Order: sequence, then C-alpha cells, then structure tokens
Amino acid sequence: MEKLTEKDTKAIADYAKIALDEAQVIEFTDYLNETIKMINPILDIDIENVDPTFHPIGNLRNVMREDEPNPSFTQDEALANAPLQEDGAFKIPSPLAEGGDQ
Amino acid sequence: MEFKNMCTRKIRQGLIDKDFSAKEIVDYSLERINNSEEKIHSFIELSPDLAYKKAAELDDFVAKGEKLPPLAGSIFAFKDNMNLIGTHTTCGSKMLENYDSTFTASCVKHSIEAGAIPIGKNNMDEFAFGSSCETSAFGPTYNPWDLERVPGGSSGGGAAAVASGQVTVALGSDTGGSIRQPGSFCGVVAMKPTYGIVSRYGVVAFGSSLDQVGPFTRNVYDCALTLNALSIQDPQDCTSHPLDVDYTANLDKDLKGKKIGVIPDFVETDGIAPDIKAAYKDAIAKLKDLGCEIIDVSLDHAKDAINAYYILGPCEAFSNLSRFDAVRYGFNLPNSNLDSQTSNSRGTGFGNEVKRRIILGAYLLSSGIYDKYYYRAQQVRSLITQDYTQAFEKVDALVMPTTPNTAFKLGEVSDPNTMYLSDIFTVSLNIAGNCGLHLPTQIGQNSNLPVGIQIVGPAFKDENILQIASNLEKEYKFYENYERITRNF
Repeated sequence: MEKLTEKDTKAIADYAKIALDEAQVIEFTDYLNETIKMINPILDIDIENVDPTFHPIGNLRNVMREDEPNPSFTQDEALANAPLQEDGAFKIPSPLAEGGDQ
Repeated sequence: MEFKNMCTRKIRQGLIDKDFSAKEIVDYSLERINNSEEKIHSFIELSPDLAYKKAAELDDFVAKGEKLPPLAGSIFAFKDNMNLIGTHTTCGSKMLENYDSTFTASCVKHSIEAGAIPIGKNNMDEFAFGSSCETSAFGPTYNPWDLERVPGGSSGGGAAAVASGQVTVALGSDTGGSIRQPGSFCGVVAMKPTYGIVSRYGVVAFGSSLDQVGPFTRNVYDCALTLNALSIQDPQDCTSHPLDVDYTANLDKDLKGKKIGVIPDFVETDGIAPDIKAAYKDAIAKLKDLGCEIIDVSLDHAKDAINAYYILGPCEAFSNLSRFDAVRYGFNLPNSNLDSQTSNSRGTGFGNEVKRRIILGAYLLSSGIYDKYYYRAQQVRSLITQDYTQAFEKVDALVMPTTPNTAFKLGEVSDPNTMYLSDIFTVSLNIAGNCGLHLPTQIGQNSNLPVGIQIVGPAFKDENILQIASNLEKEYKFYENYERITRNF
C-alpha cells in the first residue's frame, strides 16, 4: 500500500479545518501511516454478502410528537458562549477576506 | 461522623434516622476532596453551591417527614463532558475551557432528581480520547492505589474519585472502554450499560453509535441503584429505550444453573499480565463453585474489533467534533478570514490526540477511502454482533478480562497505537451494543494493584450481569480493600 505523504496530511488537515505546524505535519503523517498499518488486517476479512450495521440497535423507530411549540433556547442562551457577537447575532469574519494566516 | 466508606443505602438511612444532615455530608465531602485533590486531581471543577442547594432540599424533606428518594445524600461527580447548569463543561480541553453549560444533561438531571448531591465535574482525557487521563488539558489524574500510575481513561477522574472515597458515585461515559478500563485500573465497579438504556442527551458526543453513560461505584448494589435512576426513557434522545426494570431485583438470587461462556483464546494471547490471568481463572473457579456451568465459546471476530473501532470511532468523532467552529462556542483565535479563524482556532484549541483522531477520521471518510475502510468496518461490525448473538444463544453471560494489564505508570505508554491496545477486551461490546461490567476481585500478587474481571451480557439483560457480579462480590468482598487507600487521603 502506498504511504501517505506530508502533502496528503496537509490536505486532510485542511479539509478537517485544523491548522498544523510543520513539525505536526511530520508527526501526524507518521501517525496516520502507523495507524493505517495497524487497522489494515481488516482488509483481509471476508465480508462478501455481509450487510453493514450502522447502529447497534436494529429495531429503532422514529420518535414522533405533536407539532406544537416547546420551550427552547432563548437568543441569550444561544449566544451565551459565543466568543464574538454583535447586535444579538453570532459574529464571523468575512469568508472572502484576504490575508488569512494559517 | 465518618462518611468516607459509606454506601448509598447507609447514607439514605442515616438521613432518615437523623444521624447526620445532608449539609454535614457536603461539608465533609468538600473538606475531604480539598485535602486529597493535590495528590489525586480527579476533579476539573467543584460545584459547592449546587451541592449545598441540593442538601438543603434533602434536609427540608427530612424535616417535613417526606419520603427520601433512593439516592438521597449520595455524593455524585460527573465526567466533565456532561452538561450541568452552573458548571463549565470543558471535556478536558482548552477548546471548552470557558464554556458555561446552558442546559443540564438528562443523566445528570435524573441522578439529581433521584437524590444525588452534585459535588463537581471529573477530569478526563480530552474529549474522551485516551486510556490514561494524561491527555486532559488540565493535567493528569493520579491512581489512588499508586500515585505514580495512571487511573485509566478516558473517565479516569471518576474512577479515582470513587476509589479514593472522595465521592459515593461517579458517572462516566464509555465509547470503547472508557468506564470499564479505568474501573479496572482503580479497582471499582464500573458498568457500561446496554446502548439505549441511559440517555446521551447533554453528554458531549464522541462516537454517537458507541457512547453510553454508566456508573462507577464501590459495590454492585450502588451500581444497580444508580442504573435504576438513569434508565429513564428520554424524549430528547431517540435511541433511549422504554424500560421498566428494577436492576437491584436479582442481586440476591443465586447463580445455580447459569451458563457462563468463556473464550479460551482471549487469555492465551501474549501480553496478558499474570495477575490478570490469575484473577480471571480464579473467578471462573468461583463461578463453578457457585453452581454455574462454564462453557467454551468462540468470538471469531472479536480480534478484529479493535481495528473496526479505530475506524468507526475516529470517523464518528470527526463528524461530531466539526461542531467546534469557534463561532457558536469554544476557543477562538480572531482572524480577518473565516476559514483561517476556524482552522487556527481548532489547531490551537484542540490537543494533539484530538487532532490525530479528527484527521484520521477525515482521511477514512474521504472519497475513495470510505468504502475501503468505513463501510467495511460496518460490515465487520455485523460479524462481531453475529458472534455475540450466537454466543448468547448458548450462554447467559460471558466472562473475560477487562484489560490486558494493571495500571501503568504515567508517561510509560507514549505511542498512541500501543495505548489503543489497552481497549482490546472492551471495544467489541460497544460495537455490538451489549452490556459489560468490570468487577474488582483481588489485589494482584505481582503488581499489588487491583485486578478483576469483565462480565458481559446481551443487550437489555443488564440485570443478569449485575446478578453475577453481586454473587461474586459476596465471595471476594473486594470493598474491604478500600480502607487501605482511603486512609491515605
């Protein structure tokens, strides 16, 4: 099997939105390769005609209720832990701004 | 009054008999915790205001002659991934260091409604990723039996708090062994109930199809009584089941004719410590003496569970931890660009093990890789579950080791993949959704540390494993060992 490279790790970390420094990129590449080596015996298991199980309880049914208003988070509660806010809303920097340093 | 070795029953009876007040219990507990925390560090936060408020309510009940709820006066601690209004919920992470709980988790609410006094929040591996409590951003917890050793993880703080007598009961969460493994390292009763018995609402999610909340206690009765309080169907968690079971009902019934399955391959594996093997063999002999029939069974795919788990766990974690976007809550490093703010905040706010697992999950779910690993792991999950189903057609419960080793020293296991192997006997239960309980039985002759066994039952037969544990507890009386460590703190 081909090993993951540092370029791969950077691309995955970027996709997962986790900034890594150069030392971490090297360390995490080793980690990914070692862990994939560890889990690779799973590829040798005969799984032909085996259905997947996505959940341990097979007989779950949707839980329904009447469509009536229930107590919910207030605006203040929802904003209570927001690091940046303005006029009762979450505040974010521009998605298109230049110069974002990673 | 000496509360440190008291069980739930004695505490409640003491309140009814007016031997002491709930306020006195809180006074005593806080003093005891404050005196021992420097050595053990099992807490991230104490909640004296909430504890005194609940104590006043209980003392008022007593004054009015009202019936006390079953857990009245018992001192409870909650893993710090469980929301409780009036406390932070840090998950052992810098990411949530300043997070104020805006609601209370159902398992915490149900405990307090059953009379529990909330004393604080326990230390844990960051976001429950770990088996030693060493990845907490707030420093490790130390094993009360030997302060140079880890308490296990991820719910290590709760296990250490119960073992040292800081609290009566602690609640942990178990995704791949995070209750049973620290229970084993700290020598306390530690249960992962069947998936679906305890609501997960308000518990910060790691692997949603694997996570389950359960208790640490010093005896089996307290464990069963706590499970009674927790097993309430919750409209806030669609996986919580409607059940009407008294988990204490079978504890005094004998085991004559019970069929106990053993898996010979498990203990003949290399790398199992002699003390663990000895405890296992001794427990099997005891079960025979108690009238059980011991039957060899095979779980052919159990050896594959660790690999399946280290695919499924990180994939679910990657998805669940995407909510930490530095906008709605959590650590924020301001930046002029949204993308950079998110990546930098997550890169700095999360510790290394969290980042490793998120990145592993992201890789395993990526296009072209998903079918190769994730989908296949879910197929292997079917095989593991089928093995258990077939085994439980022949036997009432299985007995196996909980961990391959006794507690290791801080810093002794630094390689993540070696650390992952300490879950080798615990993960398959989470994958199949079964119930499992660690029962401490003895002090190991070589290690001088607690050892015990894991009792595993089919889904929704939790009362059966509690019955087996209760019978063995009467033989071993492990609780007599607690005095040995509580006098140190």
